[in-house]
Amino acid sequence: MKAGSSRRKSYSLLRLLAVLLGLISVTAVGQQTVDHTGHEGHSMEVKPAGMVMNENHTELPRDCAGISRDYAFTIRAGTEYAKQIPGTIFGMSQHELRVEPCSRIEITFNNEDQVRHQWMVHGLPTYLYPGGMFHIEVSGGNSQQGTFIVPGEDRTYLVHCDLAQHMEKGMRGQLVVGQGSGDLWGVPGVSNGFYRSGYLPAYTRWLILFALLLAFTGSLLLFRNR
Amino acid sequence: MINRWLLALALLLAVLSWPPQWYPLSVRLKLTEVFGAAEFRPLPGSITNPDTTAEKFCPPDPEGWREKQLIEGLEIRNSAPCIPDNPFAVAAFVRGTNNIEQATLLKSGLTADAVEKGRDLDGDGDPDEIHIRLEVAELNGGSALSRDPVTRYSIAPGIEPGLWVFAPKLAGMAVENFESSQARRALRLPSPVIRVEQGDEIRITLENSHYMPHTLHLHGADHGFVDRTGEGNDGVPFTSEVPVMPGNARTYELQPRHAGTMFYHCHVQPHVHVMMGLQGLFIIEPNQPDNWLQTMNIGAGLVRWPSQSLREEFDHEYDLHFLDLDQQLSERIQQENDPRLITRSMHREYDITDSTPDFFTVNGRSFPYTFQESLVVGDRNERIRLHVVNGGAKGIALHTHGHKFSVTHRDGVVVPATAVAPQDVVWLATSQRVDLSLEMKNDGLHAYGPGIWPYHDHQYNGVTTDGIGPGGNISAIVYAEYLEKSGWPRTQGVSWNKFFTEAYYRREVPVWESYAPGLFSDTGIDGRFLLRIIGLALSAGILGALLLLVVVRRVSRR
Repeated sequence: MKAGSSRRKSYSLLRLLAVLLGLISVTAVGQQTVDHTGHEGHSMEVKPAGMVMNENHTELPRDCAGISRDYAFTIRAGTEYAKQIPGTIFGMSQHELRVEPCSRIEITFNNEDQVRHQWMVHGLPTYLYPGGMFHIEVSGGNSQQGTFIVPGEDRTYLVHCDLAQHMEKGMRGQLVVGQGSGDLWGVPGVSNGFYRSGYLPAYTRWLILFALLLAFTGSLLLFRNR
Repeated sequence: MINRWLLALALLLAVLSWPPQWYPLSVRLKLTEVFGAAEFRPLPGSITNPDTTAEKFCPPDPEGWREKQLIEGLEIRNSAPCIPDNPFAVAAFVRGTNNIEQATLLKSGLTADAVEKGRDLDGDGDPDEIHIRLEVAELNGGSALSRDPVTRYSIAPGIEPGLWVFAPKLAGMAVENFESSQARRALRLPSPVIRVEQGDEIRITLENSHYMPHTLHLHGADHGFVDRTGEGNDGVPFTSEVPVMPGNARTYELQPRHAGTMFYHCHVQPHVHVMMGLQGLFIIEPNQPDNWLQTMNIGAGLVRWPSQSLREEFDHEYDLHFLDLDQQLSERIQQENDPRLITRSMHREYDITDSTPDFFTVNGRSFPYTFQESLVVGDRNERIRLHVVNGGAKGIALHTHGHKFSVTHRDGVVVPATAVAPQDVVWLATSQRVDLSLEMKNDGLHAYGPGIWPYHDHQYNGVTTDGIGPGGNISAIVYAEYLEKSGWPRTQGVSWNKFFTEAYYRREVPVWESYAPGLFSDTGIDGRFLLRIIGLALSAGILGALLLLVVVRRVSRR
């Protein structure tokens, strides 16, 4: 996965930017539609173990003639899976899924923490998935299973947990359908965050000063000798 | 040769540009003797500020949540102000999320285990086994993907301080929908008011969904130092237990023997965590038959399903949670995304002993947003109960216009009848609670008659938002006849448009612009003076260059 992701990075920078700009514009436009309870108009049932929203076993996306392939993934979530990636607190066993267009995907989402987690895909066609999303929510220590069908176009979809700060602190991933449409930013293990802190030692200023003086006196000496 | 011309030019420029008001006094007086006073040149005119579009004062209520309604067999009271609580969540909190229809649960926005209610242990017609679940949410936090805060929550127009809150266990997303970065309505400041009955077996599970360690401390509420299993139950890391780590949960237990208005808060690094918003009212109601309680009051304010004892004595019940915030603390979660860097910044670099509060909230908002949801609405001759806590770092001098209230309980304990007298300012120390009785009896003492009567902290920083007023924790007691159908009070006086703009709280709008246009506006620019200053700067630049040239030549000649 690592080699593949670095190869992809070389040609996909512009497309990544395009995706990001798209996201920003969507964010700006969408503020009029307000849903105070967070899930009106979706098919689901809230159970103590959690819920699966907009499950779809049979309805084909318009650009698919049939189901190309069946996948079954088990995603484990919890703080345990964040430990390998510095600077994250919440994690997933897998941050990237690659599937064929028009495939049917069964997700088993195991929550190994004692708090709620979600596995949520965004940007799916709204005529099949209200709000464009497929969503599994699991309360602590539980597991839920859900199935959905992806459209035929090559595209990279955002996968995340939408509890406050869970995406920012590690639970961000991507679902790559076919060739995808370029990596998203900030997917742990796949791509960098768009912004990155400095991580410089406290004595950096002295190092800079030292380097400056070194270069200055060195140049002066060289100049003199000529 | 060129140098000499340049020198002459620079000196000429300097002389011509030198502003006359900067001449030495003796020179100015001499000149006056010869030429008289300078000719009148009008001061720069006023700038009329471009009209900034104001936000909607009173957002619509398409679901009809403000109305009185029957849900799960409960008559949920109406909520007069513009922004009401979700009545389905109110019903779910009363019945228990485990005891209601799936349709009600969906509309409540809560998970099935948010507030579970069990057996009636004393046989008096209401459940006495209560299991509450709390999560921890960050509002206006940072991100490695955007410079804007995420899970946004404005306390006033354009004011989005980073916040941590205990939150009811909500199903679904933290934001309104995928296209929005605004926090959903139930995810907000302050942490929800928790209401339980005296003698109930209460379990509160803290599900730490946040990226830092937290605990729950039940301030003033009767609880054991350890629970039945011997595990720490006081929430204090250095005396009772290791904090609840991210992704983990712990259940706290209590069976309070005394009723009263108490407090709950996180006790990990409290000078940071409590001041970030991890604090809420904890109200223990007296045991009464058939006393189904609204276990949580999201956003505090009006209690739409009051307890039995409240119904006997009062017409309305309101919870008021005052909290001040320090911008230099709250912005730290927005500056980094790595939890290690945030931890260092908040707990080691931030120094509360050098801090001053900047934002002042009541029920999680500052003026003018307070008028959308935390109005105390009543009518002639009604009696209103107010439960008040000051969760801020500074004291509060709570003052009511048009009314004198009585402090009947302090820190959850009844005040002796001989010590109860009407007053219009009550001092609340940090984390202190008072129960107030507000009588809308127009007798010139308890009340002066119908109107829109502000209530606020009378310490003057409290009525501002980072020093801009009106702001801060100003809200009002409003009589029903002064309320429009929409819930907005029929104010007289100045236009509120500027208060509903971000620009006003960015200090960009003159304070009296709306009713004295031009009189106290921003002024235009004195172009002539500006030109002179630029001329001086140019001549200084030329002179400096010439000086450098001379020095370099001298040095190279040696």
